[in-house]
Amino acid sequence: MAIYLDHNAGAPLRPQAAAALSLFIADAGGNPASVHRAGQRARRMLEDARVRIAALVGASPRQIVFTSGGTESNNLAIFGAAMNASLRSKVVSSAIEHSSAREPLGDLERRGMEIVRLTPDSDGKIASSSVIEAIDSTTSLVTLGMANSEVGTLQDFEGIAERARSAGALFHVDAAQAAGRVPVDVDAIGCDLVTISGHKFGAPAGIGALYVRDAARIAPLMHGGPHERGLRAGTPNLAGAIAMGAAAKAAGDALAVEASRIGTLSGLLLSRLRAGIPGLGLNGPEFGRIPNTLNLTFPGVLGESLLIALDLEGVEVSMGSACAAGSVEPSHVLRAMGKSAAQARSSLRISLGWNTTAAEIDAAADIIARVWRRVAATEPVTSQHAAGAAP
Amino acid sequence: MSARVLVAMSGGVDSSVAAAILREDGYDVIGVAMRLAEPHPNASPVGNSSPRRGTCCSHDDFEDARRVAERMDFPFYVIDLRAEFGARVIDNFVAEYLGGRTPNPCVMCNREIKFDRLWSRARALEADFIATGHYARIERGADNLFHLMRAADESKDQSYFLFTLGQDELARTLFPLGNMTKDEVRKRARELGLANADKPDSQEICFVPGGDYARFVEQNSMPESIRPGRILDAAGNELAAHAGVHRFTVGQRRGLGIATGEPLYVREIRALAGDIVVAPRTELTSQGLIAERVSVTDPEAASRGAIPVEVKIRYRHPPIPANLNLESGGRALVRFARSGPAVTPGQACVFYRGEEVVGGGFIERAIEA
Repeated sequence: MAIYLDHNAGAPLRPQAAAALSLFIADAGGNPASVHRAGQRARRMLEDARVRIAALVGASPRQIVFTSGGTESNNLAIFGAAMNASLRSKVVSSAIEHSSAREPLGDLERRGMEIVRLTPDSDGKIASSSVIEAIDSTTSLVTLGMANSEVGTLQDFEGIAERARSAGALFHVDAAQAAGRVPVDVDAIGCDLVTISGHKFGAPAGIGALYVRDAARIAPLMHGGPHERGLRAGTPNLAGAIAMGAAAKAAGDALAVEASRIGTLSGLLLSRLRAGIPGLGLNGPEFGRIPNTLNLTFPGVLGESLLIALDLEGVEVSMGSACAAGSVEPSHVLRAMGKSAAQARSSLRISLGWNTTAAEIDAAADIIARVWRRVAATEPVTSQHAAGAAP
Repeated sequence: MSARVLVAMSGGVDSSVAAAILREDGYDVIGVAMRLAEPHPNASPVGNSSPRRGTCCSHDDFEDARRVAERMDFPFYVIDLRAEFGARVIDNFVAEYLGGRTPNPCVMCNREIKFDRLWSRARALEADFIATGHYARIERGADNLFHLMRAADESKDQSYFLFTLGQDELARTLFPLGNMTKDEVRKRARELGLANADKPDSQEICFVPGGDYARFVEQNSMPESIRPGRILDAAGNELAAHAGVHRFTVGQRRGLGIATGEPLYVREIRALAGDIVVAPRTELTSQGLIAERVSVTDPEAASRGAIPVEVKIRYRHPPIPANLNLESGGRALVRFARSGPAVTPGQACVFYRGEEVVGGGFIERAIEA
């Protein structure tokens, strides 16, 4: 049985979500928008799920909009805010955002908007003072990830919400990797929009949500029926929403216990690997990460080679972001943190989750160190591989 | 535990059947597709020097390979060798054309990528063998040496492209299609239910879509390295001007821009001067050649003096009887038994004895009688 350490790509389905899906299958058939009783049952299931997801981030249920996932939530937040405030020409963001924010921002830029991409420090942290400085009266939106998907760095949003509000800008937080893993409280942050991704905490892929503080301030991308308070036309993914509600409740109920248990396991894995792999580098801060994520630079090997060798030994991890062809590109996050292309090519992301066991971490520590030794001996990195032909 | 083999898969029918056969034979198969060049000419973001490298290794090709792996139930990965392919194959290809030579990138790719870089990856993955869908055979003789042999299907034989393989490489390489004809391979693919059973063969150099080498060379080199010049006849009379020596290969007839009664062909490319020498077909002959970067499959062969061989000076040329003399510094003198066609510097020349490849090298120049 493989050891799955790629929860940041997607967590296995939680049993509570699976149970909720079975209930849905047994009682399928209604459209939540219908008047009849089948529709009423479907509507109740959908709204129960909305309550649970709202609770995970300290929101009111009516502020939760179901989407198809984190990517759609980021698109709705970014385009929705920018299009609604079309007289404002500037968006403040960072150089380490997920592609589902990066690409919408690139598109806005091609349409003539100014995009400020703040550079992080070597730990992947964006100084909140630099964000505050960048916000002005032309700013429509501030969009920042809460926990970085590749290195796990948690951002400090101190003072950003106040500055955004006083400038009349919206503040969007991409909490795809944070929600369900660390406390997320929309009022404590003071933000206006929050991206939530279901499959990062044990719902199936294909369901997500966007917290919207004030629906009047964003424009919809999908047009059609009056679903989701007019912000997202189309019959919602009912099965996904129900499962996401169950997963959100399970993750929320267990949050403190799970975070502490997973933090202990990832700390143990890091110290075992440091002992077994001389020169191993941790990308991201020693403290101040989400507890499940380790991004490591393995000296003397290509990450791609180590990744495949580990998969053949039953340890499933990841590197950067997969490209369409299925090979991997060096991480833009690591490059923005000041790592060399060679370091980026030698780095892998290991992400634990709700079902990771101590026995798995014990086994993985041995396997990773052993496979690293073999790959380093048989396919040592030369400068030519490491530098790469493409950026 | 069964032997592990890393199979290089392109998404075409040959490498797919090669992988499937090995899987059926009980090998522990790992499929890999190599990403060698950019799939889109302008895919590179700002900062990369040139809009480099045409269409190959496309998403669709990799998906075809992936489907075969799923159907035959073995793991499959796409690996990124763009840096190595760029530095060792494409840069060499461009430099050779600019120098008035005609490169053979498939030979370079086999030598530098498939049987070198891919082999170190195979070792990292604890593979015992590398396999490809090449049409060629490897036999182990009574002398315990490995012999590289022509394929059973003469019309598909690809042993020419594999001459650089030495004993170390031959010992750890499998060519499952060596005894099959192309028709048999396609039939086998259909029997196995492979979706790419009737996919057309690729005809061109994978990274030069459309086969426009001259344009590719121009797009991938500095403007000042392009060498325009004169087209001369054998007596030294200027017949026309040309836009660069990289646009020509020995034996070429089309694209000379000369209207004469008698058809003229490129006989010689003098890259330093920028001159292209043309001649009627009857004058396109040579008596032999000097080869460089010569390797032989049998390490003892060097001590045997003149060896009677048949030499192939281009992939599609019939072999020419010749005498091979190995010299120091990886060079060889090849004297044709009778007058042969003009040779093309840069192309591979491969030495055969009957069915066997005994070695080969790259053509440096023709010899005078």
